[in-house]
Amino acid sequence: MKKFLAILLFVFLLGFLAACGGEDNEESQKDSDSNEENTEESSEGSAEGGEWTPEQNIEMVAPAGAGGGWDTTARMAAKVLNEEGIIEESIGVVNKEGAGGAIGWSYIANQEGDPHSLFVSSSPILLVPLSGQSDHGHEDFTPIANVIADYGAFAVREDAEWENLSELFEQMKEDPSSVTVVGTSSPGSMDHIQFVRFAKAAGVDITKIKYVSAPDAGGITQVLNGSADVFSTGVGEVVEQARAGEIRVLAVTSEERLEGETLSEFPTAKEQGIDEKFINWRGFFGPAGMTDEQVAYYEQKFKELSESDAFAEIRTNYGWNEMYMGSEEYKNFLDEEKENLKGLLEELDLLNE
Amino acid sequence: MGALEGIATGFQVALSLEGIMFVLIGVFVGTFIGMLPGLGPISAIAIMIPITYGMDPTMALVMMAGVYYGAVFGGSTSSILLNAPGISGTVASAFDGYPMAQQGKAGKALAIAAISSFVGGTISVVLLMIFAPMLASVAISFGPPAYFALMLLGLSAIASLSEGSTIKAMISAVVGFMIATIGIDPQTGTARFNFGSANLLDGIDFLVIALGLFAIAEVCYLIMNRAKKSVGSAKEIGSLRLSKDDMKEMSGPVGRQSFLGFILGILPGAGATIASFISYITEKKIAKNPDEFGKGSVKGLAAPEASNNAATSGAFVPLLSLGIPGSGTTAVMLGAFLVLGLQPGPMMMTDRPEVFWGIIASMYIGNIFLLILNLPLIPYIARLLTIPRPMLISLVIMFSFIGVYAISFSVFDLYLLLAFGVLGLLMRMFAFPAPPFILAFILGGMMEQSFRQSMTISGGNISIFFQNNISLVLIILSVLSFIFPIIKTIRTKKKEA
Repeated sequence: MKKFLAILLFVFLLGFLAACGGEDNEESQKDSDSNEENTEESSEGSAEGGEWTPEQNIEMVAPAGAGGGWDTTARMAAKVLNEEGIIEESIGVVNKEGAGGAIGWSYIANQEGDPHSLFVSSSPILLVPLSGQSDHGHEDFTPIANVIADYGAFAVREDAEWENLSELFEQMKEDPSSVTVVGTSSPGSMDHIQFVRFAKAAGVDITKIKYVSAPDAGGITQVLNGSADVFSTGVGEVVEQARAGEIRVLAVTSEERLEGETLSEFPTAKEQGIDEKFINWRGFFGPAGMTDEQVAYYEQKFKELSESDAFAEIRTNYGWNEMYMGSEEYKNFLDEEKENLKGLLEELDLLNE
Repeated sequence: MGALEGIATGFQVALSLEGIMFVLIGVFVGTFIGMLPGLGPISAIAIMIPITYGMDPTMALVMMAGVYYGAVFGGSTSSILLNAPGISGTVASAFDGYPMAQQGKAGKALAIAAISSFVGGTISVVLLMIFAPMLASVAISFGPPAYFALMLLGLSAIASLSEGSTIKAMISAVVGFMIATIGIDPQTGTARFNFGSANLLDGIDFLVIALGLFAIAEVCYLIMNRAKKSVGSAKEIGSLRLSKDDMKEMSGPVGRQSFLGFILGILPGAGATIASFISYITEKKIAKNPDEFGKGSVKGLAAPEASNNAATSGAFVPLLSLGIPGSGTTAVMLGAFLVLGLQPGPMMMTDRPEVFWGIIASMYIGNIFLLILNLPLIPYIARLLTIPRPMLISLVIMFSFIGVYAISFSVFDLYLLLAFGVLGLLMRMFAFPAPPFILAFILGGMMEQSFRQSMTISGGNISIFFQNNISLVLIILSVLSFIFPIIKTIRTKKKEA
């Protein structure tokens, strides 16, 4: 019996070890709860001094499961911020997964005024509330800094009849439903909207576009086997296939050509006469009610992060682009972008605020 | 570089001291993570990513791959002993594994699972080595109509998954279907049946349902029937030894399902879970005594175990040769490749042969390690069953709750777990079989999506399913598989009359 109990204990410990990432974070979360009173006191104190520094460990929420873009950004940023000594206090990454981000956002919305709780987000924080699936949008939080930009791409099979985006749109102007577009996410989300945005700029009737949503890497598969015609996705998803000559990238959504081998060969839509752009920005937010000093502190730290060599290396590995925006600029950018997206969704009859 | 030369390079990498060490760490961690209900390879690998940053990429990936197939290997243990599936790929292993353990043959059940897993894993790695580049085209040949037909074929077997009333099996399946529609519909972006709750927007996680319907329901059943000595009191572990007859009985299903599992694993989206179910059904269909299934059949345990491990290697085909992740776990692994500065895709085999072949060769060695690691441990692990029942029941409940919470960190899911536990208990009391429910849930979601994708593509024309060769063949097979059992029953009835 003793022997058995020992084994059981061992299995048990291993289990916790395996979950240690999560467990640690849970602890730091408890810390932040119990220290809330302290925080309030000290933030008053520091407001007088004009400068603010964190008093306890920082919780960084990825409003998604482990392994996705938000999670990776959060984990890599936390790692560099701590390892390079940019922020001394330890940063724990917590996954609050679910409902395309809405679960995580509502969690942060409950931490109002707590300057030790940050989270990472990108375009969905604008799109998800617009489609009525989140009660919280970017207006309910404090934008701190944007750090990364990703771009989208439109790709077809290498033997497709369209040589470039203009040709594709010419045909779609005649008959919008002759082309099937495939993306990884549902209508009204990024993959769909970025295509619609360019199609609209080219004069296509966007209400008649056939769009299929294929999760789990189904998008690239469907283009390769000819089930769908155009793959609308992030540029990182198509580089390898393009390099191997399996697919042709009709256009990327950036204003200027991207840097890097293969990447620089992809034409922009702009050089084909379609004056539109789509940036999948990614940055950090805090809860509502942060003081100016607190925002200034984090703004500075994320700037250091963005400029560090360690983070530059991570950007290269993931194919992310540098795009720093401070709090004020970020907020204006988000407001403007949201108006634009709102118009598109309204036209598609997908608006459900 | 030719394939032979590549394989040689691969073994050089995998058999180096470092390689052996990381394979060992990977499979060891994987086995234990797999055993714990809820904790799966996805979270384990995601947590490893920042740790491995800066490590030699080949070694890091060898280790992560070890965690993946190790978890599938180890996941069967809790399915067999506790009826609490360790990971979703081992749900089907509980169908016959748990009854076998309850009959006092836990040792034998674990041995069958370990050997079937080993053979399935090894055969599939050999297939992966030889055919990886060629099979890449299979992975992408399935369009939405073909997926729909494949799911249809899986579902056509619902009737055969049931014992007793076919009507009850159908009702059970329809409820499973209905549950699968909860959440945001990918084709329109609209939320369905979430009753305004954000908690249901993503639908219900498969493991919540599996642990509820199996583990929690079983525990409740044990408590309700505690007066009866015979229920759930397997004090005997039994011998580990497999008789010659057992080996003979296993060899057919293991051989066949290693191949089928591998092929299903290659298809993006299908994966180990669907493979294990389809293998279980196929074996039941072709068995001489299908009645034994569900009551502790050797074949019924060996088939899903060989298949889910084979599917794991299969999932590496699209990842390594195309850069297309076919499952949640391989998607996270793709992320790991990127962090380590590698880009899996059609060019990887020529650009970085040592990584490509190193991972494949390490899987071969990893499977041997898993067998050596697991077989001697069986007597100790199986003693779990000798714990007094009240303690065992508490342990199962605790592990199930921890497991579910570890998936989503959501308390709401714990209530769902309880709800499905109650549902499972009611189903059991009124003799509604749970397997058709589970099967309809996993196949139903994918079937609906591929049907609607096909409809969008064809502009609503149903003939799209008959224009494609793959889907045409699969649809004919489904119709046959649906009609045959009915004809069979009519014939036997006539004979009886």
